[in-house]
Amino acid sequence: MLEVLEALLSSTLEYSTALVFAALGAVLSERAGVVNVGVEGMMRTGAFCAAVAALSMPTPLGVLMGMIAGAAMAAVHGYLCIRWRSDQVVSGMALNLVALAGGTYLLESLYGPNGTPPITQLSRWHLPFGLAEVPLLRAFSGHSVLTWLALALPFAFHWVLYRSPLGLRLRAVGEKPHAVATLGLSVQNLRWLAVLGGGALAGLGGAALSTAVLDRFEQHTPAGLGFMAMAAMVFGRWTPRGAFLAALFFAAGNALRIGLASSLPEIKDVVPQGFLLALPYLLTLLLLAIQGQRTHAPAALGVPYEQESR
Amino acid sequence: MGERIREVLPSILSVLLALVVCWVAIALTRDASIATGSYLNMLRGGLGDWPLFLENGRAAVVIRPLGESAIKASLLLLTGLSVAVAFKVGLFNIGAQGQMLVGALAAAVVGAYVELPALLHVPAALLAAALTGAAWALVAAGLKLTRGVHEVISTIMLNWVAVSLVDNWLVVGPLRTGAGTDLSTSGTDQIAVSAALPRLMGDISRLHLGFPLALAVALGVWMWLSRLRTGFEVRAVGLGPEAARAAGIPVARRTAEAMGLAGALAGLAGALLVMGTELRYPGTLGAPYGFDGIAMSLIGGNHPLGVTLSALFFGALRAGGTRMQLLGVHKSFPELIQGLALLFVAGRLVWLSLLRRRLAPVTPTQPQPQSQPRPEVPRA
Repeated sequence: MLEVLEALLSSTLEYSTALVFAALGAVLSERAGVVNVGVEGMMRTGAFCAAVAALSMPTPLGVLMGMIAGAAMAAVHGYLCIRWRSDQVVSGMALNLVALAGGTYLLESLYGPNGTPPITQLSRWHLPFGLAEVPLLRAFSGHSVLTWLALALPFAFHWVLYRSPLGLRLRAVGEKPHAVATLGLSVQNLRWLAVLGGGALAGLGGAALSTAVLDRFEQHTPAGLGFMAMAAMVFGRWTPRGAFLAALFFAAGNALRIGLASSLPEIKDVVPQGFLLALPYLLTLLLLAIQGQRTHAPAALGVPYEQESR
Repeated sequence: MGERIREVLPSILSVLLALVVCWVAIALTRDASIATGSYLNMLRGGLGDWPLFLENGRAAVVIRPLGESAIKASLLLLTGLSVAVAFKVGLFNIGAQGQMLVGALAAAVVGAYVELPALLHVPAALLAAALTGAAWALVAAGLKLTRGVHEVISTIMLNWVAVSLVDNWLVVGPLRTGAGTDLSTSGTDQIAVSAALPRLMGDISRLHLGFPLALAVALGVWMWLSRLRTGFEVRAVGLGPEAARAAGIPVARRTAEAMGLAGALAGLAGALLVMGTELRYPGTLGAPYGFDGIAMSLIGGNHPLGVTLSALFFGALRAGGTRMQLLGVHKSFPELIQGLALLFVAGRLVWLSLLRRRLAPVTPTQPQPQSQPRPEVPRA
């Protein structure tokens, strides 16, 4: 029984890493009032660039490249949405389409259809002092540094967002940008900060997929994980800790699904896989239906900021 | 600069710029001759191999590619219209993909498991697809109207619910071919011959009734939006729900109607895919025509005529994509062109400001307004 729990916990942590980063990225961008449906595309770009970079440089540097690539995609989003007040959903969906087709083209013409050549994975950390032998704690052993970062970052992010002046300003920019402007602060700069940070986090999530979970970029990466990150953001009511818990919850559901499918194949006849796959989205819809207008979405979400408008 | 040109020019320039950028992308990763060659291949694959036709006079080398283009274009047109109709009422329908999926499944089920004479079977399957798509879209409309849930989020979620339930359960489970036996194939049974959309050119081309049907639907949507009272009211709601309410327009009802129509159009696209070319619901529908619809709608300026033109254009590119593979360029390359074009269209104000700077000295008589509000794209 204990081994089963350990295995579940371990694969939950493995699967949740990328999801947590992407969900936090989405929270950061949307709390500042910029809709981010381009998470999927930013993750894909990050995953691709990290894998390609890691072919010729140490893997940690490759991860950094993935973050920069995600931020670069976000910069396009920011240029269109912040500088030119374009529709944020359109821009995000366009980035998704570009990343999907562009990734396929580059992958195929540079490395062939199946994926990049294998890279050195990020080194895995094992718990010291014999802690790796303690039941249950064992599950925390053997993960990359990114998994640990994903466990710590939501709390750091929470502190910044709710305890620091910068966090207050970021939240205000998403709720009432004109109030921020009257304090003499730049709405545009704050939004740029959030959008670029969100892109870097999404890129980090993608990089985690190709350097820690797998050891290459595969054709279908991230296979909808970016949209699941959006679901986690909504489910977590646009808060870092909420999104983190939602991401863990979705990841645990997935670990359970995969674990059941491999150990008890007959379970598929009782509970179809499709139901379990649909569950995160169904639950999010259900939560939205129950909460209705009290969904805690930032008030100025999706509204381009114009200095002159009121 | 005329108002019409201001509307259309950014889209045309965006498409051209996307074509140039993608050519450069191939030229950089491969070389310039391959880039030019694959573009020519794309043209031959999309519009027909005219040089070869003039050489040997066989019509098939022209008709077959044109037929493939028309098939692709009809799918893009229907999903594009779906997104455009939702835009008209002020909603952003990201859910065309899911609506198309459930529509395709409904068409496959009615096509395979219901026995009807041919004259009734095709309309019945089309109707089933449209109704299922509409029902799927109405979930989002209902959540929006009763609970205030933003449709972008709900339709994204509904897409994944549809993919999970249909592709990972129904067509690999209860609805798969030979369910109950040990056969491990996925996808539904073949639809009956009476439910297949008739081919228009016999064996020369796969072109089927779906193409004229999609064009007729586009014309119908155009007429509805521009000539009928309900269509006018839908546009009024999209331009300003408060003003529309004050004018006595039933806002909630028109919103639901438009969203239902949007879902029906996407469902029809799924039906065309199943009844025209696949002839069953395959293991996975794969092709993200629903997301392409967003590009078609916005590149076409959310106008039925514009959507038709952009669907015809990109249908030809997409059909030509298969031919690019001869030079080792992935067949999804036209999707990159399309995605970039959408990205550039999103920067519409950039284009307008560039154009203003360029054209301002020529027409100095009337000062242009600072920035044109874009009523057709609602702010979230």
